[in-house]
Amino acid sequence: MTPGALNAIVPMACVAAAGIAAMVAEAFREPGERMPIAGLGVVGLLGAAISTVVLWNHNTSSFGLVSADNFGLFVTMILVIIGLLTLAISGPTIERERLPAGEYYALTLFAIAGMMLMATATDLLVIFLALEVLSLAVYVLTGLRRDSPVASEAAFKYFLLGAFSSAFFLYGVAFTYGVTGSTHLDRIGSVIAAGAAHETMMQRLAAGLLMVGFAFKVSAVPFHMWTPDAYEGAPSSVTGFMSTGVKAAAFAAFVRVFLSAFEPMRADWGAVLWVVAAATMVLGTVVGVVQSNVKRMLAYSSIAHAGYLLVALLSANDLGKGAVLFYLLTYAVTNLGAFGVIGLLESGVQSPATSQPSATSQQPPHDQVRDYAGLWYSHPVLAGLMTVFLLSLGGFPPMAGFIAKWYVFSAAMKSGNSGLAIIGVLTSVVSVFFYLRIVVMMYMTEGGRPTVFPSVPKVAGLALVVSAILIFYLGILPARVLDWAAQSIGTIF
Amino acid sequence: MSFPILSSLIALPIVGAVLLLFVRGVDEEQTARLARQVALIVSVLVFFETLLLWARFNPASADFQFVERHAWIPAFGISYAIGVDGISLFLLVLTAFLTPIALLSSWESVHKQMKAFCMFVLLLESAMMGVFVSLDLFLFYIFWDAMLVPMYFLIGIWGYDRRIYAAIKFMLYTMAGSVLMLLAILGLAILHYNATGSYSFDLLKIYALNVPRPVQFWFFLAFALAFAIKVPLFPFHTWLPDAHVEAPTAGSVILAGVLLKMGTYGLLRFAFPLFPQAAEFFAPALAVLAVVGIIYGALVAMVQPDMKKLVAYSSVSHLGFVVLGLAAMNTQGVQGAVYQMLNHGVSTGGLFLIVGMLSDRRHTRLIAEFGGLKKVMPHLVAAFLLVTLSSIGLPGLNGFVGEFLILLGAFRWDPRFAAFAASGVILSATYMLWMFQRVNYGTVTNEKNASLPDLRPREWVVIVPIIAVAILMGVLPNLFLAPIEPSVEKLLNQFHQSSTTRIEASVDPVTGHQSPPTSEAAR
Repeated sequence: MTPGALNAIVPMACVAAAGIAAMVAEAFREPGERMPIAGLGVVGLLGAAISTVVLWNHNTSSFGLVSADNFGLFVTMILVIIGLLTLAISGPTIERERLPAGEYYALTLFAIAGMMLMATATDLLVIFLALEVLSLAVYVLTGLRRDSPVASEAAFKYFLLGAFSSAFFLYGVAFTYGVTGSTHLDRIGSVIAAGAAHETMMQRLAAGLLMVGFAFKVSAVPFHMWTPDAYEGAPSSVTGFMSTGVKAAAFAAFVRVFLSAFEPMRADWGAVLWVVAAATMVLGTVVGVVQSNVKRMLAYSSIAHAGYLLVALLSANDLGKGAVLFYLLTYAVTNLGAFGVIGLLESGVQSPATSQPSATSQQPPHDQVRDYAGLWYSHPVLAGLMTVFLLSLGGFPPMAGFIAKWYVFSAAMKSGNSGLAIIGVLTSVVSVFFYLRIVVMMYMTEGGRPTVFPSVPKVAGLALVVSAILIFYLGILPARVLDWAAQSIGTIF
Repeated sequence: MSFPILSSLIALPIVGAVLLLFVRGVDEEQTARLARQVALIVSVLVFFETLLLWARFNPASADFQFVERHAWIPAFGISYAIGVDGISLFLLVLTAFLTPIALLSSWESVHKQMKAFCMFVLLLESAMMGVFVSLDLFLFYIFWDAMLVPMYFLIGIWGYDRRIYAAIKFMLYTMAGSVLMLLAILGLAILHYNATGSYSFDLLKIYALNVPRPVQFWFFLAFALAFAIKVPLFPFHTWLPDAHVEAPTAGSVILAGVLLKMGTYGLLRFAFPLFPQAAEFFAPALAVLAVVGIIYGALVAMVQPDMKKLVAYSSVSHLGFVVLGLAAMNTQGVQGAVYQMLNHGVSTGGLFLIVGMLSDRRHTRLIAEFGGLKKVMPHLVAAFLLVTLSSIGLPGLNGFVGEFLILLGAFRWDPRFAAFAASGVILSATYMLWMFQRVNYGTVTNEKNASLPDLRPREWVVIVPIIAVAILMGVLPNLFLAPIEPSVEKLLNQFHQSSTTRIEASVDPVTGHQSPPTSEAAR
């Protein structure tokens, strides 16, 4: 083994090590002792961040299976940001739900390690492995509230459908191996390109099965059924984490597999994906309009955003590939911010109307849209931050969401998919309607009974402010990050 | 490098808004007082800056002046390019003129969250300035869209009873129109890429682009839809009465005074010169809609029981004139249109202020609730009369000049449009004077009106500048028209040149006969 052969896996090794350390720390923790387990995660993530920066532009590869090219590193960096923000906003949720902190952080870190592997893997089997690593961790995180029937149901649904989709994916890998004799993306690509003239049914089947697997993970229509339930049932910080992290990792692999290995068959899968993307955007926004639970609403919003990402993927030109990366980054920062606020507000306790002063622990979570009524008058800063996140999700300038959508639609227009671009902009108008519903509640409706919120922990508050600043930075001065995104796709495609 | 005066027009209100974040008094009341003082000072400063800009503006030049250009997102050819010419100069002045007045008008009528109110007004001012100075399509779109948010909050938080409905309707209508424009803008940048190998959103470069005829049609429709909703042109006007009626006075003043002008400004600056052939083709259709809007708006205004709604519909009618002038695309028409944009801002702004004063006193805006106010509040009624006359277009006041020029331009283009549009002048006199008569003349029928206070000192400060400007613009139109003219001429030359040369260059012989020969000769 040559020195440096392991370089490419250093980022995920850092995170995995932190995960193991978190588990060990939890095991040796005295009951009742407070331990900064999240701090271990921060150290691991910072290690990953530093190694990512060092590896940038070096295009290293380990075992021929993991390739730290700029594309993978960009996604790794997004995942680091997702990880840091998740750790920062988890405190209130853990406190409120009395979750086991050590397990929570360890699972989160393992999931991130799996995501990083998925983003950098160049072999279908390794991608599958990474997919399972991250999925198992996330299933457990979803059901971490063991005494809550909603959470158990969510976790069970997510697990069943997820396992189902993994099977699809694996079947796809098997077919691909059968057709091309390899599971390595480069090799698959060259075999398919060589036989591009006479495509076989088997090739189409292989691509189709893989696509189903990815579509499940990115919650594209018609494989989105698990999303609203899982997002609603999981603790808020976990919802924020999986809506961004899983999506980022899955899209990274999706792009890698379909825009390199299966690129020659684009005429085939492109048509299918066109329909999927259009349906995803439309269903996500239209059904989102009628939701009354904030988390469910954002689940549908997340489906819609998967649709925009699919548009970028489908455009498949230089703009589209860069757009996927920029969009993932923007979406990660924005959505985690929004779920951070939701997590904080969930702990809100409506002051009892008449008697039962002891009923506080039995109160349902404070996450209906109407629970946000008058928030601005009682907590102007939180309401302001939430507004920034929502407007960015809706795609308003000068927030990052606008630049991201603009990038996606430029890619679509350039590749001649103006039909998708039109559906995209129109659905984003509709989506503004439901984001605004929350804004209307916060600013324009008087609150009912006054609600008491526990004070905002410093770390969580800081994370939200940093997210908001990042959103404005990416929205107003995006040039540098756009350049990085453009560089990242230059190396592999 | 000289002082970046245009950037400072955009930045100063933002700085003011950020400053407001840190304003904190000992109690709610003091905070509110401090906040509105800071906001007022900032907006007055901005106004003086625009006056300085006017003073330093070279009226003989047709080019963009005070241009600033910085690369912003170089990979996509997006630059921070701003500049001002005769067309946009006075719109900037108007914006800066109306903002402090709008702030002053809400001195007492805004009861909650004064600080946030002032912040949103200042942010709105900044975005409006940005729209009028942008020379880059991307930058323009950013300001265009960003402006929606503060206006949405102004209507939704400080408006009247149905404010939430009105705010959301305003937002969704405007967005639905503008997103398609975004795609058209992207399309233009990509056309530029295909032609030259690099992206560009620079307006001047895209002016020079030869857009294929079929593409022009689609893109023109996308742009025109966005602007038509904003104007609002019949039949896209339904958001306007709701937004106007529910908005607080300051919101209505800015909405009528400036926001609607963005639509007509957009048509003139972007939709027409970017797609001359399509514009040529669609001009008659636009003119028909404009004329329908003039008459329809006037007729609907006539039967409104609510003063604010009446003024709102009168806006539909007046903006119809502006679009008609633009569609004529000759010197008189376009100059008149630009002038009428300013007039409408001043006179309709004034009307909303007066209605706001009445509504502050009585908490109703129904015409039937008033009557005989002349005896109770002679000064206010005198101001009301002057503003009403200016809105009708009485010679000697501002409205006359604009309407006259527009009708002249329309007549030279196609007398039929002018004939129908002229009936709007009469109708506007009818509904405005009828309303004025019912509110102010006769005996005091309602006891509650018997002891209303006359103009307060603050209200004097609000209304006198409006009237002074109305008279100034009526008596000395050349003061304003002189700087406007060169830019309008240049734009028209460019427009006609490109529409004709492109028709000649076009392979399809049919295209040359798209517009009737009479109109060709008239131009």
